[in-house]
Amino acid sequence: MLPALGLTVLFSVVPLVMVVQRSLYKGNIFGTNLTFAGLANYADVFRTGGGHSLIVTAVFTVGFVAVTMLLGFGIALLLDVRLPGLRHVRAFFVIPLVVPPVATAFIWFTFFQPNTGLFNRLLNAAGLPQVTLSNATDAIIAVIAFGAWQYFGEIVLIYLAALKALPRDVIEAASIDGAGAWQRLRYIRWPLLRHQTALLMVIATLYGLQTFTQIFILTNGGPQGATQTALYYVYQEAFGLGASGSIGLADAMSVILFAISLVVTIIQITLVGRSARAAAA
Amino acid sequence: MRRPAKIAVYVLVTLSVLIVAFPLLWMIAAALKTQAEIIDPNSSLLPLHPQWSNIPDAWNTAPFGIFFFNTAVFSIVTTLGQIVNEMLAGYAFAMFDFPGKRVLFYLVISGLMIPFTVVIVPVVQLLADFGWINTWPGLLVPNIASALGCFLFRQFFLSAPVELGEAARIDGASELRIFWTVYRPLAQPMIAAFTVIAFLQNWNNFLFPLVVTSSEHLMMISQGLTEFQGAITGTAYNLLMAGSLIAVIPVLIVAMVAQRKVVEGLTIGAVR
Repeated sequence: MLPALGLTVLFSVVPLVMVVQRSLYKGNIFGTNLTFAGLANYADVFRTGGGHSLIVTAVFTVGFVAVTMLLGFGIALLLDVRLPGLRHVRAFFVIPLVVPPVATAFIWFTFFQPNTGLFNRLLNAAGLPQVTLSNATDAIIAVIAFGAWQYFGEIVLIYLAALKALPRDVIEAASIDGAGAWQRLRYIRWPLLRHQTALLMVIATLYGLQTFTQIFILTNGGPQGATQTALYYVYQEAFGLGASGSIGLADAMSVILFAISLVVTIIQITLVGRSARAAAA
Repeated sequence: MRRPAKIAVYVLVTLSVLIVAFPLLWMIAAALKTQAEIIDPNSSLLPLHPQWSNIPDAWNTAPFGIFFFNTAVFSIVTTLGQIVNEMLAGYAFAMFDFPGKRVLFYLVISGLMIPFTVVIVPVVQLLADFGWINTWPGLLVPNIASALGCFLFRQFFLSAPVELGEAARIDGASELRIFWTVYRPLAQPMIAAFTVIAFLQNWNNFLFPLVVTSSEHLMMISQGLTEFQGAITGTAYNLLMAGSLIAVIPVLIVAMVAQRKVVEGLTIGAVR
């Protein structure tokens, strides 16, 4: 048991303390030549495109959460319908979640190639302008679309489990009283799922904030930083730029990212606590 | 349900299955095309003359054998380590009272709440201090702790009946024996679900190996695939897809065989 705790403490709690402390110092990746810099790293983060990265993170995360939640809930509702065969379809939605994202990112990468990529062939056939990963707007839409494709299965699975666990007698009673499918969804099933929805939004948000692989392969943060999220900024400063990167900036951005994740987690605990109290009352 | 509504449900479900499956089908088709078909915007979706040789060609372009071997070692060792470690830790938290238990548990929970990506820079610095960059210990050791596993196993053992252990204790069984013969078998379904999901996550881990290793003989399949991309020429997307296919197939097989456990694991993982 002690080794487990030792490792957890050594590789998550100690580094957290380190990252906060180091964010106040200027120095190189080996931690030598450290000089105390106060909050200068934080100021420099915003001077070197960190503010833009935070905006990109916000845009990506909002888009990602919206698409995964809508798609996930919609498909879970479809799969919850009691019709022959639908039970076996569930496993399909697991596939994008479990196969290596690097491999699926390459597939999506080819989709966006000019003229020959799937999307551009379809757009050409429809007489519409092409999309390209070297256009800022297209690139951010592309990473949201791919990120959502890769992750929405998780939302489907959890909503589906929650839908199956709803009290059937309540829904049947409403049905007998003449409530149509839409009314049962709007006034009974959706409110009963409030707790799950809040939880899933938080999980998806945390996942969105930590998205890296998908962006690394698809756009490499480009074009001109258009898809450089906060985590990508951390990676670039610490590992991607070699000697010209700054570990202090990476640490400062990590602390900012941690603060954001913490706020999201606190919201989660509050929401879950509140709905648990509401259920008990 | 009326007939048109039923048809609508089936149509929509088919459409959503296609959204999931199409990119993978496209990958298979593209992996078997010729270079000429790849760069021809009017070529058919399916390869005219399937180029099966693309797959061995891709395999020979990068050391995929080494990548698979490394990924297998990494996934098996870290998953086993996580299970042994966290089952014991979770068991201790659930069954025993000891000084500092609350503080320790909060430490573990904080490990659960800190996204690993936030501490990746200092973790790499720690590993550099140990001289573990580009080594197996550097890849394995930091991943053996799993706060999520500790939390899940604790929750599980909290709900296990205390009486079983007490009866065994009266019969004179040692604590380790009680754990191993009484409680561990109870946790079997939980172990199975956690194994499958931890294994897949470790198998697909990209960022951590990326920042800890740079030498090809330690590379995992995900990072290896990016090396492979660098090794093929410009628009050889048929080879790129063949390489991706090589990376996807084993996971796809595992996911299909252990389908039920994967679904279970993904749903318990969401407890956090």
